Amino acid sequence: MRKQLCAVVVAFGLCCLTAPLVAHHGFELEYDKRKPVAAKGVISKVEWTNPHMRIYVDVTDEKGEVTSWNLELGSPNSVYRRGWTREDLKAGDTVSFTAYGGREVLTRAVADEITLADGRPFTGATGVPQ
Amino acid sequence: MRTATGPEGGAVVKNLLGVVAALGGLAITLGAQVTVPVEGVGSGAHVSPDRLGKLGTDWTPVASAEVADGPTPRLHDGKPDLSGPWVGGGSNSDIERDGGLQPGELPLLPWARDLRDRREEANEPYLYCTPMGVPRKNPYPWRIVQAYTAKGPSYIFFLHENGDAGAHRQVFMDGRPHPRNPIPTWFGHSIGHWDGDALVIDTVGYNDKFWFDSMGTPHTEQLHTIERYSRPNYGTLNLEFTLEDPGALSRPVQLNFSARALPPDQDLMEFVCSENNQFGIAGGHTNIYLEKGFGLEVEVPAQK
Repeated sequence: MRKQLCAVVVAFGLCCLTAPLVAHHGFELEYDKRKPVAAKGVISKVEWTNPHMRIYVDVTDEKGEVTSWNLELGSPNSVYRRGWTREDLKAGDTVSFTAYGGREVLTRAVADEITLADGRPFTGATGVPQ
Repeated sequence: MRTATGPEGGAVVKNLLGVVAALGGLAITLGAQVTVPVEGVGSGAHVSPDRLGKLGTDWTPVASAEVADGPTPRLHDGKPDLSGPWVGGGSNSDIERDGGLQPGELPLLPWARDLRDRREEANEPYLYCTPMGVPRKNPYPWRIVQAYTAKGPSYIFFLHENGDAGAHRQVFMDGRPHPRNPIPTWFGHSIGHWDGDALVIDTVGYNDKFWFDSMGTPHTEQLHTIERYSRPNYGTLNLEFTLEDPGALSRPVQLNFSARALPPDQDLMEFVCSENNQFGIAGGHTNIYLEKGFGLEVEVPAQK
């Protein structure tokens, strides 16, 4: 399974490369700075829930295999206070993202940068402290 | 310190994205520098200026310097209006550092120091949506509510956007004493009074279940705290905090915290922590409290 997931990531450009980040404890409890991932896919679900917002993105590789990524964002309140609304992230939208994979479960990742369907960078609240 | 957008990190990220675009035919917009809309406070707040407004999983804006320097607002009876909302002003990641002490200065008894050193951050009760206790403050807004009845000040409530977990910290302002042998709770039994413009709160009856910080600094049910709040201007709420716990500390100690006001147009929002808490799954952590419940994991040595 892990190998397949890496294949998905490789297809989009990278796998298991070292990102020179200095993460705070909370980040390293769940996520691995040595697992940067990037992909483009279709949002299947957006959860404006606590303690973290989540978006689920279906990514299809060149063989047609679909992997669902569970991306953690900030809290809904943090995102809202920065001016983002439910209209900006919707199921069915195509987005690109960079993220860091979970220490134990790669596809449970924390989002770093998200590019919305209309090209805007989603700067609402993503989760890689330095 | 290297950052994701620093000289090395930025090159790596851009290179990676370049590869992504090349292989995937993607049109990823490499973000230009994001204009920082307003200053804010975030968790693990070591975020470089060029990433402010962009990173930080939890983030709360603060009032501008011009607003913060304004006069202390007052209520109809002349008392300072302590309502806020505020962010910060308590312990979070390390109570010694957060409270202005030097490393090792908190006079922990040996058993308590040993326990703190053994505790793992992944087992922090707060991660499982329990109340923060006192004097902890996470990077979310909180406010003080000064309630009155026809007889005058009656109660003061502390409302934390995230960190109450269904509890309500209430401070009795009607002159009543502490009950004898109270049932231990996350926020204890608090009685308060005004000393001039300072609000003084005395609290006993805490349980031993919350951690003072994510390092795991422990306390016992003998914890006794005295908080002295003052608001010297619009943007600042200072807390002189006396910490006494003969079960875990060799002597009382005073810490100092300072909260910052949010912009005037900000309010608290709903935050139900347990509605979708997936902590631990990505990192492979197990909730050790499912069977034993929360609370000190060691016997407190008998006092001499």
